[in-house]
Amino acid sequence: MTLITRRLAGHLARGLVMILVVATITFFIVNNIPGDPMAARYEKLIEGGMSPEAAKQAVKVLYGFQPDGSMWQQYTDYLSGLFRLDLGVSVTRPGTPVLEVLGEAAKWTVLPVLAGTLLSFLVGIILGVFAAIKRTGKLGDALAISGSLLHGIPQYVLAMLLVVIFATLIPILPADGSVDILFEPGFNAGYLGSLAEHAVLPVLTYALSAYGGWILAMKSSVVTVLGDDFILAAELRGVKRSIVFRYIARNAILPLFTLLALSLGLLLGGAVFIEKIFNYPGLGWLLIGSVQDRDYALMSGAFLLITAATIVANIVADLFYTVIDPRVRGGEGAS
Amino acid sequence: MANQAPGVRIDGLTVVYKTPAGELPAVRGVSLRLEPGSITGIVGESGSGKSTLALSLLNAVQPPGRIAAGSVEIDGLGDVTGLRGEQLRKARGKHIGYVFQAAQNSLNPLKTVGKQLLDLGRSHGVDDLRGLVREARELLGRMGLDGARVLDSHQHELSGGMRQRVGIMLALVLNAHLVVLDEPTTALDMITQANILKIVREVHAERGLTTLVITHDIGVVAEVADRLAVMYGGRLVEQGPTREVLGAPRHPYTQGLIKAIPRLVGDIDEARALPGRPPALATVPKEGCVFRERCPSRMDVCDTVDPEPTADGPRIVACHAVTAPVAEPGTLDKEHA
Repeated sequence: MTLITRRLAGHLARGLVMILVVATITFFIVNNIPGDPMAARYEKLIEGGMSPEAAKQAVKVLYGFQPDGSMWQQYTDYLSGLFRLDLGVSVTRPGTPVLEVLGEAAKWTVLPVLAGTLLSFLVGIILGVFAAIKRTGKLGDALAISGSLLHGIPQYVLAMLLVVIFATLIPILPADGSVDILFEPGFNAGYLGSLAEHAVLPVLTYALSAYGGWILAMKSSVVTVLGDDFILAAELRGVKRSIVFRYIARNAILPLFTLLALSLGLLLGGAVFIEKIFNYPGLGWLLIGSVQDRDYALMSGAFLLITAATIVANIVADLFYTVIDPRVRGGEGAS
Repeated sequence: MANQAPGVRIDGLTVVYKTPAGELPAVRGVSLRLEPGSITGIVGESGSGKSTLALSLLNAVQPPGRIAAGSVEIDGLGDVTGLRGEQLRKARGKHIGYVFQAAQNSLNPLKTVGKQLLDLGRSHGVDDLRGLVREARELLGRMGLDGARVLDSHQHELSGGMRQRVGIMLALVLNAHLVVLDEPTTALDMITQANILKIVREVHAERGLTTLVITHDIGVVAEVADRLAVMYGGRLVEQGPTREVLGAPRHPYTQGLIKAIPRLVGDIDEARALPGRPPALATVPKEGCVFRERCPSRMDVCDTVDPEPTADGPRIVACHAVTAPVAEPGTLDKEHA
């Protein structure tokens, strides 16, 4: 157990350093993009008849920003804000903390992507086992081809295809948005139904585009394990088929858990195009909006959140591995 | 369950593998008896068909291979080539123990040895699992290991020699009395090798087993086996009591093998390598003797007629040059009675 704790501590330290580095890089990149929205606003206020002093004061109150502060000062302000989980104030939504905006958007990304990923993972690994066992037959071929095909179609093409099919040709599902405004938000059938209806196409897009990867990865993993000596050894010892099957499944699924944890880390940033296509108010949609509006605070915040999610997923994947794989757990000597 | 060493009679066994060039025999017309309580060694080069022969004893030839002809009669089980499904599964492990090559990973890397032992027990309907664990611990202790610790270990925590002993334990723990060891000492260092062979000999005697050892190492056979069978190109070319075969080999292939062994004393050049290379599945001659390409005593008849195994006392040799050919065709009698 101490080994896991030590591992966790090491990971956290490294993760924090990485987040700090990323925060620094994004800060300087974002601040050096041509076109400074703060300066623009500040000048606009002056043009409106405000004295430079008053304008400076107004900008500071509204955005927590000092127009004549040095880059270094802004950077230290930003970092000290970070440690208090204060990502600044959104430029386009004066007075609203970035963290709040991100939090609001994140749930629209996390739930559908999570649903899509888990759905495709479950279906993919189960069919992957069949694709491996029946790999010399027609069923195996069909499964493998379905995987390659779906894996090969870009996610956004898939999204548009689904819109064309299910919203235009057979109009049974809404093409965009997250919920009908007709319904009172809350725990009522109409609202929840509308939520679900709007989520079907995005979730289906995530699920279908990820499915190919899972089925192919699981197939090759199972084929590898099937060729392992210990499977034949277990059969030659007369171990029951059901137990041998469990040996195969557990060994084959192991490497896929890492992939799953990593793909969950990409979950926050991976939906940019799709949310744009479905006009779904998640993080990706927010990120595109913030770029268009030059909302630098929001942009840096979104980048940072996506980075942090990926780093955390890596840590989780590694720790998870420690729990499920005795070879990683062991280290030195007997357990 | 038979509580004494069973005898095994392999008759005319042919195992073919499906290849793009059709079905090719890896083992052809092999007849061999394992006397109850004996240790038999099978030696042969890689690809001679010895592992395929060993797997046939459990009717476990892996696809694309299949047993095309012949029978394997085991006392208490009948002809195993006819066993299917559950019957076959229950015979494996309980009647026939199979020990894998030491270098191979014959254990599930994710489970402790103890948990795999329990899986084995449950598979064979053992009610007294505590008794099974006790038995396993005793067996491991008998082989010089700390049983409790080994049962609590994963495969990666065990050395090659320890794994091999675990393999032997798993083959014996259900009280199987026929044990097949496939390359039991390959990839082990000399000291561990000697240890394992000593264990094989002792456990064989103590538990009253019938043992079959497959190896490419004549030294291993000389160490443990009562009887020795030499395989070449899917055929058994010579068999007999180990001392007699090694002391006075009759088949040119056996003679060549023994000449190729370097001696500890004397000049290294005294060891003569056998010229040529052994046939692969696709290059085994369709007719005539399988060894003729490398044979120093090759005759015309060898090109066309496959020499039949012919018994002379306890020894059986399949070679025209040995059994004075042409005049009388070799007898089909495999029993050296």
